Amino acid sequence: MRIYACHFCSSPVYPGHGITFVRNDAKEFKFCRSKCHKNFKQRRNPRKLKWTKAFRKAAGKELAVDSTLTFAKRRNVPVRYNRELVETTLKAMSRIEEIRQRRERAFYKNRMRGNKERALALDKKLLESHPELLKMREVELRIKEEKRLAREEKQRQEEEEQDEEMDISEEEEEQSEEEEEEQPQTILLKNKRRSKVRF
Amino acid sequence: MAARAQFENSNEVGVFSKLTNSYSLVAVGGSENFYSAFEAELGDVIPIIHTTIAGTRIVGRMTAGNRRGLLVPTQTTDQELLHLRNSIPDTVKIQRIEERLSALGNVICCNDYVALVHPDIERETEEIIADVLGVEVFKQTIAGNVLVGSYCSLSNQGGLVHPQTSIQDQEELSSLLQVPIVAGTVNRGSNVVGAGMVVNDWLAVAGLDTTAPELSVIESIFRLQDNQPDAIGSNLRDTLIETYS
Repeated sequence: MRIYACHFCSSPVYPGHGITFVRNDAKEFKFCRSKCHKNFKQRRNPRKLKWTKAFRKAAGKELAVDSTLTFAKRRNVPVRYNRELVETTLKAMSRIEEIRQRRERAFYKNRMRGNKERALALDKKLLESHPELLKMREVELRIKEEKRLAREEKQRQEEEEQDEEMDISEEEEEQSEEEEEEQPQTILLKNKRRSKVRF
Repeated sequence: MAARAQFENSNEVGVFSKLTNSYSLVAVGGSENFYSAFEAELGDVIPIIHTTIAGTRIVGRMTAGNRRGLLVPTQTTDQELLHLRNSIPDTVKIQRIEERLSALGNVICCNDYVALVHPDIERETEEIIADVLGVEVFKQTIAGNVLVGSYCSLSNQGGLVHPQTSIQDQEELSSLLQVPIVAGTVNRGSNVVGAGMVVNDWLAVAGLDTTAPELSVIESIFRLQDNQPDAIGSNLRDTLIETYS
């Protein structure tokens, strides 16, 4: 049994899977699943779809030109069976696979190198053009604080409703407390105004 | 030596077998009768190999070959290719051809020195044929038929072609191939001589229906019994005319 590569996405096609299309010039197209077959029927170019191996190779995302990739191919001239040859071939296969993986890792590393610096530079540039982005945190905090205060206020009112029989003096005290609490709020509001002016 | 044989009630022995000077391919059949016909004559001379090509039994029509090489179509599986390689002598080159016209037996007709091919065959294939089989390649038709392999049976001694090939064409083919050519039939008047029989330099196998005059034409043109091809001209012609009149 031969395991073919899908014509569209290059994934392996195992026996009993997929479908084969034979064009009238006798060329065979093997597909791993209906997704690939349907895309083929819609005449889509596999090089333009990001999920295919063809795209990844064409766009330089994966190792495309390498000596380790040249071993796997259809051979039209057979070689007589020879036990030693088979043994060495099997050994070579695993060794080549090892080398291929190592090269692939190196390729990936090389491709990703400098990404961090590039991302940082981009972020800096963005900040320079939009400095207000840094204030976002302050705005968030302020909104949070306002919410918290509102909640406390509500709670207190509820408590007041419960403690209606309490002394006036206590109420007065509470009022003074309220005033004190209200003060930071006003300051915050001032802050807001000032920040707006600054922008 | 010319023999008659039948493959599972079919007279088209050229379809189910391939015969060359250094090996012979035979289809895998229900019984060994057909195989025995070859084994009896060639058993200890050349290897006779049971095989399928692309899972089919029409090995004679799918393959083309001579003493030096064997060509198989692109559909041939890896296992079959390996089996052929392991059974055929090392001196014979084997190659799988990626050609649109995949019934190579029908489109290529060759002996050890020359090959006639279908006019539409690809240029690359032509080169591979010349390379692997070590032959000179000519694009030709036989009696207006493009399937030269079906309508021509060729050995190093002579060739049998479609019965309606004109004398002029026969002479042209004869000068092209450098062997005597005769028009004839096999299997009681069948004109597909390529598919109806197989031949090498010592043995011809035709279908069981082949008549005695047909067989004697085969024996004389392929020089299987030290007969000179001229014999057809003089004494055989009378017999032929008698039979078909």
